[in-house]
Amino acid sequence: MQRYLTVMRLFWSTSLAAEMEYRTNFALAAVVSLGNMVGSVFALYLLFSTGYLPGGWKFEQAMLVLGFFTLMNAFANAVLRVNLSRIVQHVQDGTLDFILLKPIDSQFWLSTRNFSAWGLPNVAYGLIVLMWAGRALDLNVSQYAMAILPLVLGLIVLYSAWFTLGATSIWFVEVHNVTHVLHALLEAGRYPLTAYPVIYQFFFTFVVPVAFMTTVPAWVMMGEHAVTWVAGGAAFAFGAFVFSRIFWRFALRYYTSASS
Amino acid sequence: MTTLLPKLRAMITVHYAEGLQYRAELILWILSNLLPFILMGVWMQAGLSGRFGSMTAVDFARYFFAAFIVRNLTLVWVVWDFEQDVVTGTLSHQLLHPIDPGWRYLARHLAERLTRLPFLAIFIVAFFLIYPTAIWTLSISQVLIAAAAIGMTFTMRYIVQYAFAMLAFWTERAHAIEQLWFLPYMFLSGMVAPLELYPQALRDVLPYTPFPYLIWFPVRVLLGDEVNLPLGFAVMTFWTIVAWTIYRLLWRAGLKRYSAMGA
Amino acid sequence: MLTMPVIECQQLSKRFRVGVKEPGFLKTVRHFFHRRYRNVDAVKDVCFAIDEGEFVGFLGPNGAGKTTTLKMLTGLIHPTAGSVRVVDHTPYQRRHEFLRQITLVMGQKQQLIWDLPAMDSLRINAAVYRVPDDQFKQRVDELSDMLNLEHLLHQPVRKLSLGERMKMELMAALLHQPRVLFLDEPTLGLDINAQAAVRAFLRQYNQRYNATVLMTSHYMADITALCKRVIVIHEGTLIHDGGLDELLERMAPHREVTIEFEREVTAERLAAFAEVESVNAESATLLVRRDELTRTLDRLLDELPVVDLTVTDPPVEKIIGQLFAGGSVSSPQVTSDT
Repeated sequence: MQRYLTVMRLFWSTSLAAEMEYRTNFALAAVVSLGNMVGSVFALYLLFSTGYLPGGWKFEQAMLVLGFFTLMNAFANAVLRVNLSRIVQHVQDGTLDFILLKPIDSQFWLSTRNFSAWGLPNVAYGLIVLMWAGRALDLNVSQYAMAILPLVLGLIVLYSAWFTLGATSIWFVEVHNVTHVLHALLEAGRYPLTAYPVIYQFFFTFVVPVAFMTTVPAWVMMGEHAVTWVAGGAAFAFGAFVFSRIFWRFALRYYTSASS
Repeated sequence: MTTLLPKLRAMITVHYAEGLQYRAELILWILSNLLPFILMGVWMQAGLSGRFGSMTAVDFARYFFAAFIVRNLTLVWVVWDFEQDVVTGTLSHQLLHPIDPGWRYLARHLAERLTRLPFLAIFIVAFFLIYPTAIWTLSISQVLIAAAAIGMTFTMRYIVQYAFAMLAFWTERAHAIEQLWFLPYMFLSGMVAPLELYPQALRDVLPYTPFPYLIWFPVRVLLGDEVNLPLGFAVMTFWTIVAWTIYRLLWRAGLKRYSAMGA
Repeated sequence: MLTMPVIECQQLSKRFRVGVKEPGFLKTVRHFFHRRYRNVDAVKDVCFAIDEGEFVGFLGPNGAGKTTTLKMLTGLIHPTAGSVRVVDHTPYQRRHEFLRQITLVMGQKQQLIWDLPAMDSLRINAAVYRVPDDQFKQRVDELSDMLNLEHLLHQPVRKLSLGERMKMELMAALLHQPRVLFLDEPTLGLDINAQAAVRAFLRQYNQRYNATVLMTSHYMADITALCKRVIVIHEGTLIHDGGLDELLERMAPHREVTIEFEREVTAERLAAFAEVESVNAESATLLVRRDELTRTLDRLLDELPVVDLTVTDPPVEKIIGQLFAGGSVSSPQVTSDT
C-alpha cells in the first residue's frame, strides 16, 4: 500500500513536471475552462430566464449541481481522460507489454500513470461556484462536508465505468471511442436530475449514473433524500469498482492468450 | 479542374473504403454527439411548462434533433490532421504530390460523411418511430435550401478551421485555438438553447458573427422555419471569404517557413 | 553441482486465430459484415534450455515466431501447448516475484518519459521494483558508468540521440538487477558506434553479473560479438540449437568475396571461378565455398587484374534467407488453414 502511494506521488509529480514543459498549455486551460464556466452559467440561466423552475429547483440550487459537474469534469480531465484513453495506445504500440511485466498492479498503473494540469482550473472554478451557491442558500460548513462522501462515491462510479470501457480496447481498438460517448453523456450532469423527463431520469440513474455525481451531492448538501441516495451510491460504487477489476482480469486473460 | 474531379473522386473512394474498416467506431462517433439529445430532454420538459412563449415540447424536440443532424453533417477535424502531418513531417511527402494537400483532407472529410450517412438514416428512422409526433415535412425547394445551408455551414467551418490549422507551421499546438473557438460554437451558436431565447442584446449582435450559422441557422432552415435567408447566406459567405484570405496568407508564409527549416 | 536451467521450454506451441481480409472494395464491404478467420501456428513444439550466465542469440526471419516465443517466455502470452519455466516460475502467472527477476527490452519501443530527464523515469522504476534508496544510487552510478551516461541523466529524454536513448532504456530495464534479460532487437536503428557501445555494454554486463541473456537481432555483428550459442527458428519450428560456428558452417557454406578490378571484367569470365552474385563494371561480388576459399583467391589474384579484395561473411539475414530459400533444412510444415 505504502509503495502504491509512493509510486502514485512519483507518477503525478513527473506528469506535472512534464506538462510544465509546455507552460502556455496551462494558461490556455485556465482560459478555456473559464470560458466554459461562464458559458455553462449562461446556458443554465437561459433555462431559468422566464421564471421556469426545472424540476422545482431554484437557480442557486441548480448552481450547486453545476458546481459539482465542474468538479467531476476536472476529475475526468485531470485523471481519467489522460490515462484511460492511453490504454488503446499501449495496446496498439505494444507498450502494454512493458506495463504487464512490471511487478505492480497493471490496473493501478494504467489508471494513475498520468495527471493533467488541464483539470486544475476547473477545480478552482467548481469550488467558486459551490461557494457562491452555498452562500446564496445559507449553507454551513458541515453541509459542505457532508457532500464529500457522495461526491467521492460518484467519482468512483465514474472511474469504474470509464476504466471498464477503456479496457474493451484490448479486443476492439476502435471501441475506445466509447469513452467519448460516455464523456458526452456526462454532459447531462449539468442540470439537476429532476429537470429531465422521467425516462431520462431512469437512464441517468441506472444506466449512466451521472445523477450520483452531481445531483446527489447537491441533494445531500441541501439535506434532501440524503440517506437513500448515499446508500444507493455506495452500493453502486462498490459494485462498479469490483466489476472493473474483474473485467480487467478477464480482458488480460484474452490479451495474453490471443495477442501476437 | 478537369483533372481535379477524378482525383478527388478517387481519393474519396479510397477513404470511404478506409472508413468502412471502422464499423464500431462510426456508430460511436455519432453517439459521441449526443449532447443535443440531452438538451432535448431538459428543454422538452421546460416546454411543458408553457413558459417559453409559443415554443412547445415538440418544437424543442424538433429543434434539438435537427441540431443533432446538423452537427453530424458539419463535423470538422482538419486542424488535428494537419497538425499531425506537420509535426510528423508527412506534409513534406504530400507537398511532392501534384495536388494541393488541402484536397486530401477535404476528401477524407467528405468520405467520412458518406460512411456516416446510413447510420444517420437509422437514427432518423428510429427517432421518428419512437416519437412520431415530431415528424415534420419539407417541400422540395425547402429540402434544397436546407442542403445548401448545411453545405455552406460545413464549408465555412471547414475553411475557418483550415485557417487555424495553418498555425501548425509556427506552433506544435495549433489545435489550441480550435479549443477557444469551441466556446462560442458551444454557447453562442444556439447549441445549448434556441437563439430565440437568448437576451435581446445578444440577438441583435449575433447574426453578424459566424456563430449562429454553425447550428441555429441551418437548423431553422432544416425545420422549414421562417429565417432571413439572404442575410444568412451573405454573412456566411463573408466570413468564409475572410477565413479563406487568412488561410491563403498563412499558407504562403507558412510554406516559406516550413521549407526554410528543411522539415 | 547440479543446476536447474534458468530458462526451459518443452514442446512449446502457440496457435493464433487471425482475421482474413482481402483487398478490393466489395471484399472490404463483405469483411465489414462478416469476418473470416484462420489458424496460424506461430510456434510449434519448441524445446530448449538455457543455463545461468549464458548469452544466447535467437534468430529467424521475420514472422518466424521469435517475438511470440519471447512473449511466452516473459509471460505476456499463454502457450497453447507445452510447458515453459523461467527462473523456476511459470511466466504467464506473472507473479511479482518472477517479474522482479526478469526484464524485457524492445528496440525502438520506449518506456522512458519523453519530456523529462531519464532520472525521473528511473526513480519510478525504483519505486515500482522496490529498490531501496542506497541501492538505487549505487546501481545508477554503476550502470551510468558502464554505459557512459553520467552527464546525460538530467537531460530531458527527447534531447538525447537515438543511441543514448537506447542506452538509457537499457539502464531503466536493468535497474532492478534482473537475472534474466530478454532483448528484442536492442540495436535496431542505431548507428555503428552506438551499436558497438551497446554491444560492449551487454558483454560486460553479462560477464560481471552472470546474467542470462536471450537476444534477437538482425545484425550479424551483434550475434558474432556476443553469442556463442544460437537458437534458430523458422516458421515456428526450432531448426538449430548450438554453436554459432556450426550454424555458419551449415548455413553459409559460402563467403562473400568483393573484388575491385583495374578494368572491367565480364560476368562470364568470373563465373569460371565461383558463383557470381553481382557485377558492376569494375567491381564484383562472388560467393566462394569456404573449403575452396584459399585456392580460389590464389587463382583470382593470378589471373585477373585485381586492385582490391575483401572477404566477408554474408549478413546473418542473408545466410538465413539463403538457407530457407534453398531448403537445405528439411522444409518445415507450412501454416495450416482450417
